Amino acid sequence: MTSGQFSITRTANLARWNLVLLTRNRLAFVYAVVMPLLPLLLLLTGDRGAPSVGASAITTMLLVVGLFPVYYNVLAQFVSRRDELVLKRMRTGEVRDAELVASIALPGVASALAMSVLAVPVAVALDQELPVNALLYLAGAVLAVVMFSAFAFWTAAWTRSAESAQLTSLPIIFIVSFGPLFTSIPGLPDVLRDLAELTPGSAMSEMVRVGWFGLDGQDATKTTLDFAETWSAAAGPLVVMVAWTLIAISLARRSMRWEPRS
Amino acid sequence: MNDDPGSKPAVRVRGLRRTYGQGHTAYEAVRGVDLDVPAGSITALLGTNGAGKTSTLEVVEGLAPATAGEVSVLGLHPVADRAAIRRRTGVLLQRSGFSGDLTVRETLRQWSGTLTSPRPVDEMLGLLSLEDRADVRMLALSGGETRRVDLAGALMGDPELVILDEPTTGLDPESRRAVWRLVEGLRERGATVLITTHYLEEAETLADRLEIMHAGQIVRSGTPTEIAKGHPSTISFAGALEVPGDLAGVTRVVHEHGRTRLETAALQRSVTDLMVWAAHHEIELADFDARSPSLESVFLAIADGRDPEPSPLVAEGSLR
Repeated sequence: MTSGQFSITRTANLARWNLVLLTRNRLAFVYAVVMPLLPLLLLLTGDRGAPSVGASAITTMLLVVGLFPVYYNVLAQFVSRRDELVLKRMRTGEVRDAELVASIALPGVASALAMSVLAVPVAVALDQELPVNALLYLAGAVLAVVMFSAFAFWTAAWTRSAESAQLTSLPIIFIVSFGPLFTSIPGLPDVLRDLAELTPGSAMSEMVRVGWFGLDGQDATKTTLDFAETWSAAAGPLVVMVAWTLIAISLARRSMRWEPRS
Repeated sequence: MNDDPGSKPAVRVRGLRRTYGQGHTAYEAVRGVDLDVPAGSITALLGTNGAGKTSTLEVVEGLAPATAGEVSVLGLHPVADRAAIRRRTGVLLQRSGFSGDLTVRETLRQWSGTLTSPRPVDEMLGLLSLEDRADVRMLALSGGETRRVDLAGALMGDPELVILDEPTTGLDPESRRAVWRLVEGLRERGATVLITTHYLEEAETLADRLEIMHAGQIVRSGTPTEIAKGHPSTISFAGALEVPGDLAGVTRVVHEHGRTRLETAALQRSVTDLMVWAAHHEIELADFDARSPSLESVFLAIADGRDPEPSPLVAEGSLR
C-alpha cells in the first residue's frame, strides 16, 4: 500500500459511488441491508425478555452483519471490481490503494454498524434490558466489522472471480459460525471448549454476552456483572478479536492483487 | 509547462527488463529497453502484438515493477514517488474496465472526485463527443464509446504527461481521426505524449519520434523520415514476370500475392531500365506502382525478422 496522506474526501467520494452501485444491484442490496435485520426476529422466540435469548439473538445478528454486508459483500465487490479492471484503472489516478480499499469496505461497514445500533431500540421494544456497557458493545461491533473487512481482503487474494467467492468464502464462514455453535453443546471436553473460544465467532459472542447482558461465563443465564466488571471480563475476547484482525490484515497486505491473474 | 523543450526528457528508461514467471517457464517480455520521451513531444512506441509495448508502459505507469533497469518519469521514480507523479500524468490503459451500472456522467463524476484539479465533467463530455450518451449506463455503450469515456478520464486532470496505450484500437476511422486531433491538441497545450500503436498510419501522422519495438527490444528510433531513410524503394506490378537481373539499383526481386516486387536503392534509374526493357519486349506492366521507402516497408521488414541490424544511414538518425 502506498504511503503518504490518506484523503478522506477522495475516500468518501468513492464510497458514495460504491453505495450507489450497491443499491443498483438487488441481490447485493438484500445481502447488505435486509438479511442483517432478520436475526432480530429471534428476540420474539422462547422465554421473551430473558438475557440468554437476547444474547443469542444479538450474537446471531452481529454474525450476520459481519458475514453478509461486510465479509461477503466486500469480498464480492472487491473481486468483481478487480475482475472488471476497474481497480487497475483507478490505480492509474491519484487514488491511494488504502483509499480504494476503505471505499469498498465503507458501505457494508456503515450498514453493519447501523444495524448494530438499531438493534438496541428494537431489543428494548421486545422486552430486553438496555446494554450494561453500551460502549463495550459498540467497541465490539466496530472491532467485528474491521475484522470481517480484513478477512474479506485476505480471502480476495485467493478468489479468482465474484462467482468463485461463493466457494472461497466458505472456510471463513465456517470458522466464524462454528465457535458459537460448538460452545453451546453441553458436556464438551474442556480442551475443545478452550480451543473454540479462540475462534472469532466465540469471541464476538462473548463480547455481546458480557458487554450487553452482563453474563459471566459461557453457561451464565442471569445478569451478574456491573458496568465496571464488564471491562475486565471482556479482555479475553477482545484480545482474540484483535489478534485475528491483525493476522488477517498482515496476510491481506502481503497477498493483495489489483488485477486478475493473466 | 514546457519552457525548455531541450531540457530533461519527460520519460527516461535505461536497460529495462521485465520477466514473467519463474524457472524454466519464465518469459522475458522486455529485454533491455532504452527510451527517451522528449518533453513536449509525441513519441510513438510502435510494434506488432506481443512486442513488449504494454509490458514496458506498465513499468513507466508504476503499475508493475521492473525486473531490471532504471525508469524515471518527470524526474521521479514511478513507484516510490507515485503520489507526486499521479497528479501530473494521465494514463489510458490498453484494457481497462468500468462499473456497468453507472452512467457515463456518473462515471466521470466519480473519477473527477479523485482528482486534485479536474476539468469540468461537461467539458470532457463535449471534448469526447459524449453529450448524447451522458445518461446512458456504461454497460450499454459500444466499445468505441467506452474507449472515449476512458480517454475522457485520462485527460480530465489536465496532465502534463499523457500515456496512451493503443488509444484507437477498436475505434471506427472517424473516431480515430477525432482522437488524433485530440492528441495533437495535447501537444499544442504543451503536454508530452507517449503513445503505443500498431497502426503505421497513426504513428506516421502523429509522432514526432518513433521507437519501433520488436521481440522485447527497441530496434529503431528516430523521426519517421529518418527511420525510412536507407531502406529500399519498391516497384511492383501484377503478374509473376522474370525481369532481367541487371536492372540498375535493384537489390531483390520477389514474387508474392500474384505480384512481382522489386526492391531498389535507386528508384528512378531502376524504373527507367524497367520501362525500357518492357517497351523493348512489348510487355505491359499492369497495375504498376513505384514508391519511396515508407515506414511500412521498414516495419514489415522488422516484423519478418529480415532486418535485425540497423543500416548505417538509419543509425545516424537514431538516439544511440
